[in-house]
Amino acid sequence: METIPLIGISIWLIIKIFVVIALVIYLVFAVVVVRQVQLMTETLKVGFEAPIKLFAYAHLVFAIVVLLAAVLIL
Amino acid sequence: MPDIFITDSEEKDSPAPTPSVFPEPKTATQRERLTGHTHNPLASYSYFPDNVTFENREKEEKIILLLRRHPVTNLTWIMVGVLMLLAPVILTVFPFLSFLPARFQFVAVLGWYMVSFAFVLEKFVVWYYDIFIITNERVLDIDFYNLIYKEVTDASLDKIQDVTYSVGGVGRAIFNYGDVLIQTAAELENLRFQAIPWPDKVAKILQDIRMEEKKAKD
Repeated sequence: METIPLIGISIWLIIKIFVVIALVIYLVFAVVVVRQVQLMTETLKVGFEAPIKLFAYAHLVFAIVVLLAAVLIL
Repeated sequence: MPDIFITDSEEKDSPAPTPSVFPEPKTATQRERLTGHTHNPLASYSYFPDNVTFENREKEEKIILLLRRHPVTNLTWIMVGVLMLLAPVILTVFPFLSFLPARFQFVAVLGWYMVSFAFVLEKFVVWYYDIFIITNERVLDIDFYNLIYKEVTDASLDKIQDVTYSVGGVGRAIFNYGDVLIQTAAELENLRFQAIPWPDKVAKILQDIRMEEKKAKD
């Protein structure tokens, strides 16, 4: 039941490929967020730039970890 | 016959005077005593803020007021964020993902936390950078619509034609926040400061700065 009859590929493998593609697209978004936060901190300095940059980088690292988890675990 | 229509050459060549700020604090102590002056970088209303600067700021330009939306406006997304972070706990009671293999369930939960983090980050950053700045020369509206789109609008003080403010609704009346609409010369778009604290004070400050600027020009 878990294998597609005609081509003999596991349905979970196809799902894994889609999940990995989605996570790669998400990773691009996370990079854009970091870049945009950098631009904003250059546009305006109020005094809370360091924590915001840290959160943006933490989000990027999180996205990389989830992508790696999907590639290795699934 | 005396020449009465001849312009003084010295006066003609000198640069236009920079409008002085009305109750401009001369010392750090005076600045500290001002109502609304704060060192909190997350404040919604900061009068004569310290250590604030922005791109394209002129050397002599002084920041009088820094505004962002009232903190109460964040309540909705904070509640949604907390619910999103707690949502995986519901899976232990109602196993919606039980049809998936354990490894897929793990990645799904991890992905959910990542999306929740992104949601909270986006809402916070949009609030933090959605800023209005009033200087002694102009008014700036920095709009950060989402994580990938921003817009910066500014209007010099002499282009401002009318300032109106409104406070409507129960929440706005209780927490004293509202909108300030700045109508500018026809070729410029109007500026709207939305959900800012003490809109009446902001309108008054804008009026005083404009009066001061007019006086300096006359």
